[in-house]
Amino acid sequence: MSGASEAPIGLAAAPAAAPRPRRRDGALRRFLRHRLAAFGAGVITLMVLACAIGPYLLPFTDTEIDIMQRFAPPFSGPHLLGTDPLGRDILARLLMAGRISLSVGFSAMAISMVIGITVGLVAGYYRGWVGMVLMRFVDAMLCFPSIFLLLAISALIGPAVGSIIMLIAVTSWMEVARIVEAQIRALKARDFAVAAEALGASDARVMLRELLPNAIAPIVVAATLNVAHAILAESYVSFLGYGIQPPTPSWGNMLDNAQSYLTSAPWLAIIPGAAITLAVTSFNFIGDGLRDALDPRMGGR
Amino acid sequence: MSDPSHPARHPSTTTIPRRGLLLGSAAAALAPAGAALAQPRPPAAPRGQCVLGFSQEFTVAHPLMPANEVDQAVWWNLFSPLWGLDPAGRFYPILAKAVPSLENGGISADGLDWRIELREGVRWHDGQPFTAEDVKFSLALIMNPNFRARGKDGYDRIESVTVEGPQVLRWRLRQPYAPLMSILSQFFIVPAHRLAGAEDPNNTPFHAAPIGTGPFKWAERRTGSHVMLTANRDYFGEGPYLERLVFRYVPDVNVMYTQFRTGELDYIGLLGIPANHYAEARTLRDRVIHVIPRGSVENLTLNLGHPVLREKVVRQALYLSLDTRAITGALYYGLPKEAVTFLPPENWAYNDALPRHEYDPARAARMLDEAGWKPGRDGIRVKDGLRLEFTNSTTTGTELRTQAQQLLAQSWAKIGIAMKIHNLPAAVLWGKFWAESQFDSLMTNTTYTIASDPNVLHRFGSHAIPKRAGYGSNVSQFENARVDELLARGVVLNGIEERRAIYREVQAIIREELPMLPIFQGMQIEGTKAGLMGFENNLHVLANSWNAARWYWA
Amino acid sequence: MGGYVARRVLQAAGLLLIVSMIGFAILHLAPGGPLSQFAAGGDMTQEDLDRLARQLGLDRPLPVQYLDWLWRMLRGDWGASFRDQQPVLAVIGSHVGATLELMLSSTLLAMIIGAWVGILGAVRRHSLFDALATVGAMVALSIPTFWFGLVVIYVFSVGLGWLPAGNRTTIGNESFLDQLHHLIGPCIVLALVSTAVWSRYMRSSMLDVIHQDYIRTARSKGIPERRILIHHAVRNALLPMITITGLHLPTLLSGALVTETVFTWPGMGRLFLDSISYRDYPVVMGILMFTAVLVLLGSLLADLLYHVADPRLGAHGA
Repeated sequence: MSGASEAPIGLAAAPAAAPRPRRRDGALRRFLRHRLAAFGAGVITLMVLACAIGPYLLPFTDTEIDIMQRFAPPFSGPHLLGTDPLGRDILARLLMAGRISLSVGFSAMAISMVIGITVGLVAGYYRGWVGMVLMRFVDAMLCFPSIFLLLAISALIGPAVGSIIMLIAVTSWMEVARIVEAQIRALKARDFAVAAEALGASDARVMLRELLPNAIAPIVVAATLNVAHAILAESYVSFLGYGIQPPTPSWGNMLDNAQSYLTSAPWLAIIPGAAITLAVTSFNFIGDGLRDALDPRMGGR
Repeated sequence: MSDPSHPARHPSTTTIPRRGLLLGSAAAALAPAGAALAQPRPPAAPRGQCVLGFSQEFTVAHPLMPANEVDQAVWWNLFSPLWGLDPAGRFYPILAKAVPSLENGGISADGLDWRIELREGVRWHDGQPFTAEDVKFSLALIMNPNFRARGKDGYDRIESVTVEGPQVLRWRLRQPYAPLMSILSQFFIVPAHRLAGAEDPNNTPFHAAPIGTGPFKWAERRTGSHVMLTANRDYFGEGPYLERLVFRYVPDVNVMYTQFRTGELDYIGLLGIPANHYAEARTLRDRVIHVIPRGSVENLTLNLGHPVLREKVVRQALYLSLDTRAITGALYYGLPKEAVTFLPPENWAYNDALPRHEYDPARAARMLDEAGWKPGRDGIRVKDGLRLEFTNSTTTGTELRTQAQQLLAQSWAKIGIAMKIHNLPAAVLWGKFWAESQFDSLMTNTTYTIASDPNVLHRFGSHAIPKRAGYGSNVSQFENARVDELLARGVVLNGIEERRAIYREVQAIIREELPMLPIFQGMQIEGTKAGLMGFENNLHVLANSWNAARWYWA
Repeated sequence: MGGYVARRVLQAAGLLLIVSMIGFAILHLAPGGPLSQFAAGGDMTQEDLDRLARQLGLDRPLPVQYLDWLWRMLRGDWGASFRDQQPVLAVIGSHVGATLELMLSSTLLAMIIGAWVGILGAVRRHSLFDALATVGAMVALSIPTFWFGLVVIYVFSVGLGWLPAGNRTTIGNESFLDQLHHLIGPCIVLALVSTAVWSRYMRSSMLDVIHQDYIRTARSKGIPERRILIHHAVRNALLPMITITGLHLPTLLSGALVTETVFTWPGMGRLFLDSISYRDYPVVMGILMFTAVLVLLGSLLADLLYHVADPRLGAHGA
């Protein structure tokens, strides 16, 4: 949450924070939301395609060093977006970095969703002391400002891509657990769950077949916002020097040290930052649109 | 050296320590006559202040405890050792009346008995007289098992200390130990009357309000911001000419440079000016930029326990195909000087007859071919099922070094050598990873000497492999019987010529065996505001505020 | 109410215990240690380092070290920094002021702008302004704080030369104006996210209030719209915002850490980053506990104020 990392989730969790009756919004807003979500989806599709195919179309690779060409500004020669301090093509790096950053975003989201849903399900279903212990653990984890937690844990692990994914996942499942727990707790009291239990269905069956599908709407929304969160978190950790290490490019580590070239080569800082902002904004647009579409009760904020 | 394009600003030719001149030592006689005449005279009384910028924060005031370079920068002005090392590598007396030697009888012929006469009339900042008891106490404190002393190397050879008079003391060594002379040049004496009898020697009021015998007194410390010292008007030596010294902490080198540019900082040292700002810095008005050599070597430390790197021909081929020119030329803007050994040229034991470094990747490839390392299917060389592959590590966040790694990886890949980058945070790299030789190769800036003595027993002696012995810093796991023999002799001899011969031979063997691949001599870019007189690079100390007592504004 | 408070405080104490265990475990299980910094220098041998580890008690089993730390902590002894030997509380104390200054000023800025945008958005619902504000808030929440910081430095310090590129004061000039000048950049950067959050919550809070009966009543009485808004709606809409401030605290702290790094602001974030990289365990633990207390206090106060302000909700456990 630095602004960054927890803010999107903060929005998702807002109903829990201050429960208040909600109202339908006007047509313009809804229309806009859908347009924005469509815009977001379009941008992400384009980005994924560009990162997947783009590198094959470029005359340069992301790791090819040409020290004589260092610090070429954008739009000034064969390098469309210029070169970095080692003379590598920034466009090629940006696209390869996109592969890494987007994969980190999706993988970290997937893992954090698994953890969050599991914890939320178990805590919401059993309640009692199991639920209490789990939710108190969630509370304790949320007592750490997210960047503090990210940095502390990053000391524990190596700066490889896999461990960065785990790092982000284990620091971003708590909000999901809270959302799921609240949903399950509410759903469990409802007729169909009580009926299924009465019919002697196993706990796992009730949880997975009856309760979870009914809680899917907020989960999908949270998942989308979680991707945005993960991409931001990767950039934060890398910027602070604990992220993915060169020569593997990521949007975050392309920004690492850009500060020392801010006067002489500002494009080193501006280009990757713009890519991050665009991707994260798009995911947030999608999440917002989904929330509106899947669960109108949650909309209007 | 300083910027070659500004010969008039050569700091190393401007001043020879004047204390040396006054004492008429042999060293001072060599000083260029009249070097000081061109300069404005220092003021009669301390005047003005100097703000020194450092990118690390001051931590510990107690000069015998573990500390960083900034602490040393402060200590040089707060405390005094018995003697110091001048920029030319010569000893000059500070608290001692004269530097003990075989010639003046201060050290006995067998090197075991030392007799030190102390300067008279020296007072601590609180007015108490400084005596031989303070020296004795300081020596004892280092050996106190409850005290968190920085290092005991050398001090642990002292068998007994006798105070013969208020200004005379004598000690005897268990066995001769030549490096002790250098080690003591950074032995800052602490006041017995303030520290004796402390319940916990690691935590006393002295830590927050230290007093010494140095040219400046402790004034205030603001954590996260600065440490301020004020002139000690009763200082026994030359100076101080400045009223105040402010050691300012600026956590980012880029911001530090900006503040130097705007004039907020009068001097920036240690990490100094980043190389990428050098070109601009030179054009600044009223600023003097010094490109200065240090006593360290930028190098690739190889782990000889690695199955590939243990082979000498591989190491030689690596060195032959290591494009030092690309690194120093492009990444470091042509500023550093070439290095082929672990000692800086300024060291008295430097071997100037070593073969120079050649860059010849074609020959390196041939050497590997001949040694049986043939390119495999993916182009990486293979021999007996072993791929010519290793990782290289440095601390995360060291930007230029990371760039150099990537440059090396690419150029080595062209001749079938695979180098992967595996960087770690400093706290991890310098932990077990380093001490237990878990790395394949490291790119670091290493000072091989302790206090500038050419003794490298702890670096290249086979008994000093920490992984096996729990002692020493020979993390390359280098083993060579001849080097062991030479190094063992080097520490017990006292004559400088005999020692020189020994360390020249050691350097020749290391140049041949290559447990480390020297890339360039450590250097940094420091800056001073024009008009700040007396600044002088001394690569035998960790920080260039060593002689701030003699700084003044023109 | 008293019982509720007591229960919440007890709960918070339990949470702090868990927090301390998690923090301690993470820190001490991490590779590397506080003595590595001295190995890097090269003038201390492995022998010296092993001796120091013994003297600092770092060679003891982890549970013993934890209990020792906990016991001291309970008696009010936060320990001393491994790096500079100063008491942890003194170290935190000398950095917390800068962080609070930054957090308070940016919260104030965010409140003013955010509330204004939110109120205007609610009053002129569906207008172009409302739509732009919504999109703007989403974009603001998506910009990496540090990158925004870099852009601000690039534009206002490097380009225009209006603002200093970092630090809290000019050396030798510690006047109020100088401090204010240094505060502008980091304050704007940190306020970005808070402003977005505030505007969103303020808007929905305002919408809720506008449709309440008493507003309708007021309107039917013919009281001028402006007066209704200011005297009734805004006042009541601001009430729930108190909780947001409390709950937003962890976000703000994280943002402060990043902002401080970009602007070399000598606050707690910077200190935390340095202490992590030095593995200065006592200081890192101190900061973690300090922020945890702050966060818990923030949410507790938010809850209490909310209950006080709106007694209808009654006191139920969180």
